[in-house]
Amino acid sequence: MPGEPRAPLARVTAAVRTLPDGVSADARLSTSTWTTIRFANGRVHQPMVERRSQLSFRVADAGRLGTATTVDLSPEGVAAVVAQARALARVAPVEKKFPGFPSEGAPRPAATAFSASTAGLSPEAATRIAERVLAAAADRAPGGRIAGVVNIGSESLRVVNSTGLDRAGRTSLAQSSVLVDRPERDPPVSGWSEGAHWDAARLDPERLGREAAERVATAAPEAVAPGAYRVLLRAPAVSDLLSYLALTGFGGHAEDEGWSCLRKRRGRPIAPREVHLVDDGRSRASIPCPIDYEGVAARSVPLIDHGVARPSVTDVVTAGRLGRGLTGHGPPPESPFGDWGPIPSHLLLAAGDASEDELIKETKHGLLVTRFHYVRIVDPGRGVITGMTRDGTYRIEHGEVVGPARNLRFTESVLTALRGTQALGREARCSASERGGLATTCPDLVTKSFRFTSATLF
Amino acid sequence: MPEELLATALEAARAPGVRYADVRLVDPQRYLHLAVRNGAASSLTSSVSRGLGVRVRTDRAWGFGATSELTPVAARAAARSAVRLATAAGRRTKEPLRLTDDVGPTNGRYATTLREDPFEVPREETVALLTEAERRLHAAHEVTTGLASFQAWEETKWFRSSDGAAFRSRIVHVGAGVSATAVRGAMVQTRSAPSSFGGNYWQGGFEFVRGLGLERLAEAAGREAVALLEAPACSTGPTTLVLGSSQLALQVHESVGHAVELDRIFGSEAAYAGTSWVRPEGLGSLTYGSDQMNVVADATEPGGLGTFGWDDEGVAAQRSSIVRAGRLVGFLTSRESAAWLRLPHSGGTARADGPDRAPLIRMTNIDLEPGDLSLEELLEGVDDGVFLDTNRSWSIDDKRLNFQFGTEVGHRIVRGEVAGLVRNPIYAGMTPEFWRSMDAVADRSTWQLWGLPNCGKGQPSQAAHVSHGAPVARFRGVAVRGG
Repeated sequence: MPGEPRAPLARVTAAVRTLPDGVSADARLSTSTWTTIRFANGRVHQPMVERRSQLSFRVADAGRLGTATTVDLSPEGVAAVVAQARALARVAPVEKKFPGFPSEGAPRPAATAFSASTAGLSPEAATRIAERVLAAAADRAPGGRIAGVVNIGSESLRVVNSTGLDRAGRTSLAQSSVLVDRPERDPPVSGWSEGAHWDAARLDPERLGREAAERVATAAPEAVAPGAYRVLLRAPAVSDLLSYLALTGFGGHAEDEGWSCLRKRRGRPIAPREVHLVDDGRSRASIPCPIDYEGVAARSVPLIDHGVARPSVTDVVTAGRLGRGLTGHGPPPESPFGDWGPIPSHLLLAAGDASEDELIKETKHGLLVTRFHYVRIVDPGRGVITGMTRDGTYRIEHGEVVGPARNLRFTESVLTALRGTQALGREARCSASERGGLATTCPDLVTKSFRFTSATLF
Repeated sequence: MPEELLATALEAARAPGVRYADVRLVDPQRYLHLAVRNGAASSLTSSVSRGLGVRVRTDRAWGFGATSELTPVAARAAARSAVRLATAAGRRTKEPLRLTDDVGPTNGRYATTLREDPFEVPREETVALLTEAERRLHAAHEVTTGLASFQAWEETKWFRSSDGAAFRSRIVHVGAGVSATAVRGAMVQTRSAPSSFGGNYWQGGFEFVRGLGLERLAEAAGREAVALLEAPACSTGPTTLVLGSSQLALQVHESVGHAVELDRIFGSEAAYAGTSWVRPEGLGSLTYGSDQMNVVADATEPGGLGTFGWDDEGVAAQRSSIVRAGRLVGFLTSRESAAWLRLPHSGGTARADGPDRAPLIRMTNIDLEPGDLSLEELLEGVDDGVFLDTNRSWSIDDKRLNFQFGTEVGHRIVRGEVAGLVRNPIYAGMTPEFWRSMDAVADRSTWQLWGLPNCGKGQPSQAAHVSHGAPVARFRGVAVRGG
């Protein structure tokens, strides 16, 4: 695989296959290059390039698991990380239902989309993309203050284990978000847009800049009383809801430990038939990654199957505890988010057939929300989350957007929001985390009742 | 070797148009995470990283390059990337980029004071401590998740700038905690100790973890998680709110600390973390809170996660007032942002969470100063109210105005006495009104320093380690409800 250091790989492969009887291991060798171009106040202010290689080595010693990581890929570095992982495994409590690492006979990953030209994009070329976003926004919103980011890069991942499994995958990403605001107005107003694609040539910077600029209200936002409203959620807001459903509903730990909001709901309808949510790391509509961090091939995993809740996703530990197969959602074992266990990482919500204008026309009295801010879990057992609207909240009356609204805080169950789905937009858009590990592709969504509990001043 | 690489990178950053450069080399950056969850290893992980970051400034723009490979070839490549980026970024910019004239140390040294190096403590001893604490969390069958965790970080850093500044530092942070989650039907109740977010954290050695008394804390947390399943929901309505130290620390973090970051105020973080309701012209005149409110930024505080010798621009650690008797008197600043306000010096709060990230304005130790009332005297002023502590959920708008916090636990206060438990308490408000409603602050006996190792900011996201000291305090007429 291009960019993958060969000598360290040979050392790592030898290390996982020369352990004593009863001891097994898996290892992840990742190499990445990323360029991030941040801009604010209309200028590029924080551009950066980073190159990184890392080895993660996990040992299973009679069901005792220990992990060590290093960026030192020299023979001494690899030997040290193996010794560290073995030492930790020796003192670990036993994972009683540990099923062992996936076997060499496990399904092989599908070939997934990857853009070599994106991976090889120069820092100057990445800067030019940021300048295109800036120019498009400035053209549509003269006098507006423009800020945002462009992330471009790639990561290659190789996973080997003691059973002989050897899997490789690579991911390319071009991602951008842009905000245009008018801080001098009272109250201030703003607009926002985002996009992500595995191919930088298809990111469409002009569209992102134009959308953000066009979403800046010209009139002063009016105060809206907190309460329940029919709401048209643009795709970025839907993405937030789905991401939190992934955490509280479809995480392996959440199901295993009984605190999932889908407890006793699996196999039952939780939303209209039109709500069809899968997780699929192979999809070209997402940011494809053919394998997880345990070397398991990505596949399409139904989460809400035409309205019916399905089981959570798994890694080797939760698969053992739940007595299930692997779904291809093993997180890096050293991840600081390990408390969540495996979670869906490439969500795809099926699109409907309505344009945004049609979704607006179908709303007699409600709100249009562009995005949310600072969303957090309030009550995991009921799937209740809270957050603020931001950067483009509007009032809808009699099928028309009649003006901007001051931002509101919602406190609502994501299950209630999905259960109330009344329409889905025809265009599914992809949003992704800055290094592409998490991606959500979804359309706009109309839900009949969404509870806002307070309002802010702008 | 590190000194040679610093020199190599600085030399490679000399290029036409480059006015300034600095290099940070970190070797090692170590992280140890040991966690026992329901009797099994949730995470036994040891990570060792290292790297080098080069930052350059032209007349008009910054550029930053980083590598995890500590070789002369990689160091030169990182420096050249930084130069290329700064050159490209400055092409279409007309405004000059200025810095304050702060001059760093020529040969500074800083090291965490510790008695017991957490990386030298036998792993089996730490795992045994966690295993026993986790076992004690399971007070009843309703406790479906018990978690006991320990974390330690070390960062050994070399810094050198083209201004001639140079320092070395070794900083060690530790922390530990327990949490029990009890489930009955759809009701989920969690109690954590000594706080949520994995416990409490300190700059120092393993002696801090030994002093926490995790086993004792675990027994109480397990019992209280189960008791919360039986507790009545918190009542709804405006009431007198007393916040415990750990929740008040987070309130300071979210509604004061972030709001006074000068890069947010000037729009540098507008697209992601957001901006601030505070305006530059508020310095010296804005009434932030009641006259009981005194907030300092103190990067010299013993034990604080935001304590250091010099920040990542080589500016010395400082202690300064942010709010004095309710009035805004200071911001958190870097060399660039202080120059925007024509301040003579940076406040020394520019930090990066590793060698592969450029420094941003980050909180240091942002403390609410104690008052002079005893806890009993503070409670005597409450006929009917609630005492809330230990954060459960937290959210605030992108100008740091509208906030809503849930806490794990609440107690009613009746005629000055702390009474029974209430579950799912949530309080909400607007930042200035909330701080202006603070009518009593308890004394130093209630004041505690809380470490937070997960303050997110920047793109790519950086997790800063910060601390907040806070006492118990009383607020009038706050909107409270049961979730």
